[in-house]
Amino acid sequence: MTLDHHGQLLAPVDSQLVPPSAPIIEQIRRAKSKATLRFRIVFLATWLAIIGTLALALAGSFDGGFVSEWLGYILGGVGITVLVSVVSIAFAVVFAMLGALGRLSNHASIYAAASLYVSLVRGTPLLVQIFFVYYALPEVLPPVAKVPGIYLGILALSFNYGAYMTEIFRAGIQAVPRGQSEAAQALGMPERTVLRRIVLPQAIRIVIPAIGNEFIAMIKDSSLVSVVAVQELLWRARRAGAQDFNTFEALTIAALVYWALTIAFSLVQDRLEKRMARGDR
Amino acid sequence: MIPTRRAAYLAAGLMLAAACAGPAATPTPAPTAAPTATPPASTAVCDNLPAGSEGDLLATICERGSIVMSTDPAYPPQSELTSDGKYQGFDISVGQEIADRLGVELTFETPPWDVLTAGSWNERWDFSVGSMTITSDRQEVIDFTQPYYYTPAQMAVRADSGITDLAGLAGKVICVGEGTTYLFWLEGTLDFGTETPQTTPPEGATATTLPTDRDCAEAWRSGREDFDGWLSSATTVADAVADGLPVVAVGDPVFHEPLAAAFDRSGPDHDQLLSAIDAIFGDMHADGTLSALSNQWFGSDLTQKT
Repeated sequence: MTLDHHGQLLAPVDSQLVPPSAPIIEQIRRAKSKATLRFRIVFLATWLAIIGTLALALAGSFDGGFVSEWLGYILGGVGITVLVSVVSIAFAVVFAMLGALGRLSNHASIYAAASLYVSLVRGTPLLVQIFFVYYALPEVLPPVAKVPGIYLGILALSFNYGAYMTEIFRAGIQAVPRGQSEAAQALGMPERTVLRRIVLPQAIRIVIPAIGNEFIAMIKDSSLVSVVAVQELLWRARRAGAQDFNTFEALTIAALVYWALTIAFSLVQDRLEKRMARGDR
Repeated sequence: MIPTRRAAYLAAGLMLAAACAGPAATPTPAPTAAPTATPPASTAVCDNLPAGSEGDLLATICERGSIVMSTDPAYPPQSELTSDGKYQGFDISVGQEIADRLGVELTFETPPWDVLTAGSWNERWDFSVGSMTITSDRQEVIDFTQPYYYTPAQMAVRADSGITDLAGLAGKVICVGEGTTYLFWLEGTLDFGTETPQTTPPEGATATTLPTDRDCAEAWRSGREDFDGWLSSATTVADAVADGLPVVAVGDPVFHEPLAAAFDRSGPDHDQLLSAIDAIFGDMHADGTLSALSNQWFGSDLTQKT
């Protein structure tokens, strides 16, 4: 029980401990749940008030006909947005795993290569990387030119996120108690097997919530691949908006859809984290 | 081991759920069939392949049974979208007519404009029917057919600007699309070869660019005032006016540009295909097909040189 801020209840009265009577505890409990309820009501009311005000302010310049005509077409891009995000995060995990092992390696050259990867990728803008893969890479590597934009977009996204997630994976691997690998080694397990069977499974469990966060960020960053003609959510919204000068409506729709997607995946992630936390008990 | 395996299942489940969350993804929309007359099958180019076409792009597309055209549906009325994701417009109809007369299917790629004019398409698409102006600079990387129509370049201003002629834009900022002939004209580098326009930009006017021509008008619509002029195709300006934007045309067209189908110079051999499409354009000029399409999409016949 966290009654510490009601200190007088726990404080000795007349230098002897008086156990608080049941009705008082019940009263406090009720007061607390009432306060919680009030907090939630005010929270909800504030959201509704702000969103309602925004909606009313914007409604005047919002062309409803555009929504009924183009919403379906724009929503058709959600599939590609989610597909690009899912595939990119999967490849990013591979890049991050390799990067983390490299960053933890005792071989100077492997450590150096992994560090260069992280430094270079984190030190340059994602948009520059996407442009580079699509426009510049084919100059030196002609076959790349025939690769459709969607694959190059996925390559750039996963390469970029892999560098950021390298540090997450490294922390995850280091968070596995040393005793685990020491115990395995004491049993005579070869180093590679220790890594594969003992360390990595525990590390992955530690980093899964962080991967969820990265995935949600990826959903938003995947909009950047619209610049290389990948027909995802933003590309479709921009083109639909260009038909009759409805950029305002188109971008509003795109923003709301991205918001809904991130909320939905946040909920999934919350549940996932709760499931994971159960194992820690 | 069990919590770890459960975690793996959960992760897999999350990925699967995510993959299923959206409708099926199709990166390329289906081509639109344009409402044009199909010539008798026997006249299709692919059914009467000229001798020596082996190894030419013409033989390749005939064998493949389809030709890939680049387009960007951000340019109504040349290339626009229908709400079910299909393409239509003047350029789309012309492309469809070319494909019909070649005797192949028409499919699309949607590269950004500056990628198109820069050449080095690396066979991502076969040709462009994208209202591209024939300029000397572009001819270094692009091979052009004969023009299929000509558009006037029209200056426009905000309706409330009080500017009534070209001279009123002296010293002002003029918005143009990236990599367009309108930008080259303002910078003084526009060069059609022998037919280079003799007009000059308003004294001291400078250019600012946005990704497409229509973005300039869109910026005015949203109330931006960072520029006073907008130079684009007369068809685009007319479309903006028709859509109720606060835009008016000022002055006579500053130049007329010849627009042609384009091929990548660095691409596979395409002499035969280029001359086949050149001949098709000749026929389409002569039999009135181009005039009819121009009237359909622009409300006027822009197929004759002015």
